[in-house]
Amino acid sequence: MDAKAMIDSLSSQFTGVIYDAQVESDIRILAKVKPESVKDICQYLKEKLSFGHLCCEFGVDYPERNEIEVVYVIGSYEHPVVLTLKAILPRDDPEVESVVPVYWNANWYERETYELFGVKYLDHPDLRPLVLPQDMLGEWPLRKDYKGFPNKTARNLV
Amino acid sequence: MAEVEPVSTNNKDDMQEEIPGVMTTSTSAISDFLKKTKAQDIINWGRKNSLWFTVNAMGCCGVELLSTGMAHYDTDRFGIIPRNSPRHADVLIISGYVTKKYFPALKRIWDQMPAPKWVIAYGDCAISGGPFYESYSTRQNVDEVFPVDIYVPGCPPRCEALIQAFYELQKKIVAKKDKGTDY
Amino acid sequence: MYDEVGPSEMIVHLGPQHPMLPGPFRLNAKLRGETVVDSEVEMGWIHKGIEKILENKTYLQGITIVDRICYLAALTNEEAYVGCVEKLAGIEVPERAQYIRVIMEELSRIQSHLLGMGEYASFVGFVSMFMYTIKEREDLMSVIDSVTGARITHSFLRFGGVKDDLPEGFKEDVKYVFGNLRKAIDNYEELFSTDSIYKARTVGIGTLTAEVAKDIGVSGPPLRATGVAFDIRKDEPYLVYKDLDFKVCTQTAGDVFARVQVRLDEMRESMYIVEQCLDQIPSGPIFPEGTAYGRRSPVMRIPAGEVFHRVEDPRGEMGFYMVSDGSDKPYRVKIRGPVYPTLQALPPLLKGVPVADIVAIAGSMDTCTSEVDR
Repeated sequence: MDAKAMIDSLSSQFTGVIYDAQVESDIRILAKVKPESVKDICQYLKEKLSFGHLCCEFGVDYPERNEIEVVYVIGSYEHPVVLTLKAILPRDDPEVESVVPVYWNANWYERETYELFGVKYLDHPDLRPLVLPQDMLGEWPLRKDYKGFPNKTARNLV
Repeated sequence: MAEVEPVSTNNKDDMQEEIPGVMTTSTSAISDFLKKTKAQDIINWGRKNSLWFTVNAMGCCGVELLSTGMAHYDTDRFGIIPRNSPRHADVLIISGYVTKKYFPALKRIWDQMPAPKWVIAYGDCAISGGPFYESYSTRQNVDEVFPVDIYVPGCPPRCEALIQAFYELQKKIVAKKDKGTDY
Repeated sequence: MYDEVGPSEMIVHLGPQHPMLPGPFRLNAKLRGETVVDSEVEMGWIHKGIEKILENKTYLQGITIVDRICYLAALTNEEAYVGCVEKLAGIEVPERAQYIRVIMEELSRIQSHLLGMGEYASFVGFVSMFMYTIKEREDLMSVIDSVTGARITHSFLRFGGVKDDLPEGFKEDVKYVFGNLRKAIDNYEELFSTDSIYKARTVGIGTLTAEVAKDIGVSGPPLRATGVAFDIRKDEPYLVYKDLDFKVCTQTAGDVFARVQVRLDEMRESMYIVEQCLDQIPSGPIFPEGTAYGRRSPVMRIPAGEVFHRVEDPRGEMGFYMVSDGSDKPYRVKIRGPVYPTLQALPPLLKGVPVADIVAIAGSMDTCTSEVDR
């Protein structure tokens, strides 16, 4: 099954949920998805289209559009096609369903996105900070309007 | 024994009571006394030749730290031996970026090391923050907390630079200019 | 994990500074007697915020930063980053530069495996093995040093090419070092496969099955040791890998022994690739001519777009997702490190093993904490 057939199968299965689907090249496809059905789509991708390898999951902050995109890059062990799924969330209250039940290794990616962007994952088994100390929670350092950067330059460089 | 008298009176609080005709002293009094004599030179000569360092690889410099202690550069011939436990070590090498989260752990390693102890800031990150000086997660100016004796610039410095750093530290100890011991 | 600690159970913290660990991370293991019941990995001790820093650096400045993501695979990190920019800007890399990149990346793979293996061997009690591997690694480092001018952080790749050409006499140096290294690797293999104590500690320990490994998202040698031939160099060839003859080294057992065996085989395979490259390398420019981007242009504007580029790291799949908004700095860079899922796989692997096996299993994964924390 090539990239075109995959995206067709996905769009026909989830009409109205998948939009802006496009084939960038033979091995890269891109689609946007409604946040409420991310888990169902991942389930379908894993079971029917053998997208069994979650490469990464992360957030991108767009303050002018007042949006946070959560991007899922999903690859496969069987074929070389990599699918990029984007769920667009409101910046004030970003909430999306967790995909940990489908992709086990999404656990840490979601914890990291939570502490760096403040995206709240529903039904996540263990949502707490991963890399930052506990007292930095709530600063969301990777958002574009983070004020503490560059926080303090070293003394001898000022 | 005239010299002992003022030292022991300095430590009068440590003593239990004055016994007439018996001169009491304490270990700190003895060591304070020794610092003023030639004996300290001999002690320092011994110390400078067994600078054991902790292996706490914290970043890119940590790899060079490992290589330095191993076969090719072989610091064992100078009496510089990598030790895994801070309790055995004399030299703490800060070999990388100190983050806000790691800082308490590093402080604890430092507290666990028995005196006399020295610090080497190995690499740009430990000196000033290096390429990560503007990060939201790292901590700069660790030399305000640790009494750093030797700074080794480089990103990462080569193994030869670390050997030279130890050589400089040895010279400092012989000259009694190091921060590890107060003279 | 902390909620229900039974009367005969206790929690042992390994780390963040511990001789067994390849970098600072903390493993909290709940023990019942000598058996690990449950465990948990704590990260972030050396989190540097590289993703945020990259957003505030120009593209050229970013090369030095990505070097420091994982200090043993600096060249492959650069390849992933530079590859992203090249894809976005549409820069073609001249063939000679591609060959030089492949040579350097494979050399760096060998040195990474040598250090990782030596470190692991010292964890299971063979400290002298570390001495042997470091000795060979230093020879290799001199060869890499002669081209890039650095031992760990190279900053060697540029957009569309490489910084310098190969020096005079490089081929002879490589041939000399490889002669010794081949013998050394045969020695290591003999040592590993004949020593009964070593085998008792590794065969059948920490077994990962192919299904579980795929489910967890592991890549690189730990995955290939389970029999899955997943290698980005074959599946999604970049540079000139499609013209080169090499096989993907796999084992079927999936235990600690198999993971080390895969690394030994991969070192041989990498040497074979380098030798092929040295024979086939064409002469020509090492920078593309007539592009809009200068050789070392400090300010270069990249067309807006998004790209995901992945390469095969010594530890597995290294991917960069880059979002460009048309300015001279990347809008967002996401680094997908191979060790991220591998380290996540530790708690399920450690369930039910004795304490002494923790180091063998964790060491055989060849984790790099710096890359997980970034």
